[in-house]
Amino acid sequence: MTPVQPLILGEMPSLSKLYVNAAAQAARRRLLGTHDGSVLPAESHEVRGVTVDVGNLTAYQHLIGETASDVLPAGFIHAVAFPLAMSVMNRDDFPLPLLGMIHLRNVVEHRRPLLFTDTLVIAAHVENLRGHRSGTQVDLVAEVRRAPAEEIYWRGVSTYLAKGVFLPGIDKPTVAPARPEFTAPDPTALWQLGVDTGRAYAAVSGDFNPIHLSVLSAKALGMRRSIAHGMYLAARALADVGAVRGDSFTWEVDFEAPVFLPCRVALDISTVQEAAGAWERSDFVAWNPRSGRRHFSGSVAAL
Amino acid sequence: MSIDGQPTTGPDAAGTPAATSAPAPRRAVIVGGNRIPFARSGGAYAKSSNQDMLTAALDGLIARFGLQDERIGEVGAGAVLKHSRDFNLTREAVLGSALSPETPAYDLQQACATGLETVVGLSNKIKLGQIDSAIAGGVDSASDAPVVVSEGLREVILDLNRAKTLPQRLQILSRLRPKDLAPLAPGTAEPRTGLSMGEHQALTTAQWKISREAQDEVALNSHRNLAAAYEAGFFDDLLTPYRGLARDGNLRPDTSLEKLATLKPVFGRNLGADATMTAGNSTPLTDGASTVLLSSEEWADARDLPKLAAVVDAEAAAVDFVHGKDGLLMAPVFAVPRLLSRHGLTLDDFDFIEIHEAFAATVLSMLAAWEDEEFGRTRLGLPGAFGKIDRSKLNVNGSSLAAGHPFAATGGRIVASLAKTLHEKASTEGRPVRGLVSVCAAGGLGVAAILESL
Repeated sequence: MTPVQPLILGEMPSLSKLYVNAAAQAARRRLLGTHDGSVLPAESHEVRGVTVDVGNLTAYQHLIGETASDVLPAGFIHAVAFPLAMSVMNRDDFPLPLLGMIHLRNVVEHRRPLLFTDTLVIAAHVENLRGHRSGTQVDLVAEVRRAPAEEIYWRGVSTYLAKGVFLPGIDKPTVAPARPEFTAPDPTALWQLGVDTGRAYAAVSGDFNPIHLSVLSAKALGMRRSIAHGMYLAARALADVGAVRGDSFTWEVDFEAPVFLPCRVALDISTVQEAAGAWERSDFVAWNPRSGRRHFSGSVAAL
Repeated sequence: MSIDGQPTTGPDAAGTPAATSAPAPRRAVIVGGNRIPFARSGGAYAKSSNQDMLTAALDGLIARFGLQDERIGEVGAGAVLKHSRDFNLTREAVLGSALSPETPAYDLQQACATGLETVVGLSNKIKLGQIDSAIAGGVDSASDAPVVVSEGLREVILDLNRAKTLPQRLQILSRLRPKDLAPLAPGTAEPRTGLSMGEHQALTTAQWKISREAQDEVALNSHRNLAAAYEAGFFDDLLTPYRGLARDGNLRPDTSLEKLATLKPVFGRNLGADATMTAGNSTPLTDGASTVLLSSEEWADARDLPKLAAVVDAEAAAVDFVHGKDGLLMAPVFAVPRLLSRHGLTLDDFDFIEIHEAFAATVLSMLAAWEDEEFGRTRLGLPGAFGKIDRSKLNVNGSSLAAGHPFAATGGRIVASLAKTLHEKASTEGRPVRGLVSVCAAGGLGVAAILESL
């Protein structure tokens, strides 16, 4: 396959415009029928000269529970790259409806620290369109470089599910992967998440997806209450792992039951050590202390 | 190890000039103590500030030992729940007391170990010859706790201060939302885990399989011992009445195992394990203050003041509780063995042992860890279990479950009471008597100290 030149955007796309466009696209497709392709756009999107606002960074760090250091938290970089990643899924030739997609899994390789003074080059593309027992899933890949170097400092893969969407030529797995029964361990932390948790994260991440903002806006999109951003939860778990993770690490999270707000979330973080006693990884799992239902789980590991 | 010996190798032995000479370490002794009775939160001291209570305890100490107008070497005290206006709490209390206004003072804060740490730090200054006398203390009010404004309002106020023009000010004010006006009261949750101290202890309680009955028994003994000590007049020279209280407001002399058994569990109900911790076997929120007078032997002798006991040594420890490696309140489990090993002592070498009763289960979890063979081997690096405490030596005059626990004031309460107990026992038995103090604290901290009769 010949490499496709990236589409270079002059500036970071506006998320609010993307959401509006996505809604318009959804309406258009409802009228004119769904996009008939089963092929992902090969073109990647790229923005150069991205800088971060230090005030916004500090607000993010305080909200998530990270110390306000000069290093960009892995989750903050995800938030910075998110509008560009969305713009790829917002393309007319992207075969899945953007609105209503469910964030299933997120894997980040935080290879080298980036500072708030660094100028970033961010690229995003989609790949790996495949079946899921209840729809179609796709990986959204974002890569962040530090200008002018070619080396990738940060790479994130977000897996999204378009529920109920089945594309021609993509088989759905017949057997659902066995998910082991979950028994809640003793918690190491308890989060009290207020009803404004979604709004607070929207303010620092710029992701004003209505399902996170208020009961009313969530209900408008068919949710019974607003839910916490998955990346807010995952970033707090990463912050809870703490300084032991060092400068470079992988950070994986699998999302299960959504966290409806307000609520309490119980969390267990367990440390796995190498034979020599050095830190190997920290596994985390979060659940609803009342129902015992698992919300998400994952791990932070040495890279 | 030798207390007063000089090292045989070093600058002198090498023939190089010695650094500026300092006196060899000397003893730091406990002359006595004074506290106000501890009141339940919202009770007799509901309107008294930390500064009011610390000054009251200080003035009682001054009156008892005739320290009016005396320039004390240094006064060190602190509070855990501290208002920002109290940035110089101890100095302000000194200025409001009968001590010479030329008495220096400093504030210290180490969560519930604050009181004990002031004793340790000031004792060290006395031992080094930097000062001849000191007053260590602590105070806390759960009633008069600082209430802070929300982050939103705080940021608006701070940004307004920095704004230079009216449009800037108006723009900043427009950020204010109604919810920003709601004040925030201090919580007891650990900042890094969100779990309250009681919930943390409930995890440890379950881990060490501490029964409800054993906890209630510890609580009962605490009340019985404290009541008996009051009846015997033990606190007559350790306490100054304040605001109508002459005894600790939390003391229930008539409590019983039956009454304690009727209380419903309050901690650990969401943790899956059987909940065993009740209001009866957990310390209540309390208001109060305590002080301890420390000095060199010469200073006490010159004033014909008693020398109850020496502060021998101390050790601080901390545990990695954040991800559950150890329980939040288990740091003394590590501090005590390290401290004792430095002196070649075992638990059997102590006549009295004071373990701060944050919760009855805290004391029992510590004892269980010390009695556990595997814990001794794998965590303490010992050949086996650290040791077993003869319960008749433990908290003989009652502890925090009965007296209450105004966080920073607990160390001073324990040190003064233990010093007096050691002195009495040494006088009747005509031999040196040793005591151990252990205080656990928030943040996975713990401090232990050895006192010895003189």
